[in-house]
Amino acid sequence: MEINTQYSTLPASKAGKRTSLWKRFKKQKVLHLFVGLGMIFLLIFSYTPMFGILMAFKDYTISDGIKGIFTSEWVGLKYFDEFIHDYQFGNIVRNTLVLSFLKVIFAFPAPILLAIMLNEVKNRGFKRFVQTISYLPHFISWVVVVGVSYAFLSADVGMINRALMELGLIDKPLNVLTSPNYFWGFAVGSAIWKEMGWWTIIFLAAITGINPSLYEAAEMDGAGRLARIRHITFPGMKGTIVVVLVLTIGSILGGGLVGSNFEQAYLFGNSINNPTSEIVQTYAFKVGLSDGRFSYAAAIDLIQSVISVILIFSSNYIAKRVSGSSLF
Amino acid sequence: MLKTQKQKDILFDSFIYVALFIIMLTMLYPFYYVLIASFNKGTDTLLGGVYLWPRNVTLENYKIFLADTKWLSAFIVTVARTVLGTLLGLLLTSLVAYALSHRDLLFSKTYFTIIIFAMYFSGGLIPYYVVLRSIGLLNSFAVYIVPSMLNTFFLLIAISFFREIPGELKESAHMDGAGELVIFFKIILPVSTPVLATMALFMGVGQWNSWLDSAYFVQSDSLRTLTFRMMEVINQSNAPMDSLAVANRPTSGVTSFSLQVTSMVVSIVPIICVYPFLQKYFVHGIMLGSVKG
Repeated sequence: MEINTQYSTLPASKAGKRTSLWKRFKKQKVLHLFVGLGMIFLLIFSYTPMFGILMAFKDYTISDGIKGIFTSEWVGLKYFDEFIHDYQFGNIVRNTLVLSFLKVIFAFPAPILLAIMLNEVKNRGFKRFVQTISYLPHFISWVVVVGVSYAFLSADVGMINRALMELGLIDKPLNVLTSPNYFWGFAVGSAIWKEMGWWTIIFLAAITGINPSLYEAAEMDGAGRLARIRHITFPGMKGTIVVVLVLTIGSILGGGLVGSNFEQAYLFGNSINNPTSEIVQTYAFKVGLSDGRFSYAAAIDLIQSVISVILIFSSNYIAKRVSGSSLF
Repeated sequence: MLKTQKQKDILFDSFIYVALFIIMLTMLYPFYYVLIASFNKGTDTLLGGVYLWPRNVTLENYKIFLADTKWLSAFIVTVARTVLGTLLGLLLTSLVAYALSHRDLLFSKTYFTIIIFAMYFSGGLIPYYVVLRSIGLLNSFAVYIVPSMLNTFFLLIAISFFREIPGELKESAHMDGAGELVIFFKIILPVSTPVLATMALFMGVGQWNSWLDSAYFVQSDSLRTLTFRMMEVINQSNAPMDSLAVANRPTSGVTSFSLQVTSMVVSIVPIICVYPFLQKYFVHGIMLGSVKG
């Protein structure tokens, strides 16, 4: 920092500026070395794959390596065309969209509600305890969630099925995990279970930022608890809600607040619930890495990225118009 | 009038307490059930009726689990990748963040543009796989560590944290002739516990839970992780193979289901042990991230 002020007193002539720039750079060379190290990682693991998008327009074979991305033959939109005419196309696109929108409708409000409820709890010990428990599932891998679900819901060993049958509420076990009818509901439910507590942290933080005198004033005016929630707590969270919503819609195909669609669909998906569980990402993944059709998978991947970008920009635009707050 | 208001409040409070209690139970009970199932005789669990405590207590599941070298090696690989991955990830991410936290750093705008762009756009999984393959990371232990060493999200959080550190600390060290590396290790890192703990928790949990890289970037059996093995055993038990697997071990009470819950306990326990201690840090950290990011 003192380096900066030292050089800002130099004459502002062009030559002087240049030498001072060089001198400053030399003084900072160790820092640039550090940053450079990071840039190398970004170049390799983020930017080189971006060039890989070219694969979607080419006939790429894996044996060509990275060089093949540039040298293989152009085929234009062949693979995009193939995807659109894929017999599974309609199903996959429908599943992707339905799953995402169901999650926005049901999983997104859950942490907001939990935050509001927690805020009404006076007992600090209880509040902290509930919170600690509620974000525990966030730290557990989806694979474990699959295992837990199996332990609870599977038709043969599932605890819930057993209990319901013992109580005489059902005659035969519900095939929640292996039936296309239940997949969407189950996916939304498990996403709420896993991520609700976690996102509550951010909404609670927003509530903490509300001026306490607002509550006092409302109480004086005779507002009950519900009225205070409606007119003070909720409006106080609005900015945060909008930002998180925009982020959620933007990452709708990728994950974010509503839990990773990919991990869910991939891990919970099986040949029986496939008609409702196959989404664009899992399909691209299977086609690409299991079947080795790299160009085709890259094309499907690209379609999904483009949709994500469109979604994030349009939801941001709408948020700005409707509520005045936005992400960028 | 005052009285009805009070009655309303009591009703309101009880509703909230009941709701929160139910939520808490829903979050907690599955873990508890998995725990008791892992201590119950496998064949007995399959009969049903085990809800609140193990009925037929046994350590058999854990014995079988520990005796299987497959699980042992998976456990070792997972611990190794978690420790190494977290340490190296912390090191590189905070080192880069330290350099970028200098407000007078030349070209910092360019650097930031490069970082932000990389955060929002990616080439997707397929090109990523091609890159890993081309630089020879596939089927090596390094594939778990190297690609995740620089985390752009935590980079930004660490930068904003380092910027809060009073400049005088660094200046006096400069005067004493300390180089950047010395300042970084001796001054910056020791005063940055909150952000380091947050990063460590997330990187650690991420490493511990990761299954995709083990499933798709690695073929060698000795490099498989715990989560991958768990996925294997879960997939097996979903298949009709289940009865066969049990029939293969007629004398033991261990079933693929009991093995599955045991592996889950082994995978969950380390996280449960660590996270309450780091809680105050990550709650702060995520708030910092939500405000600045």
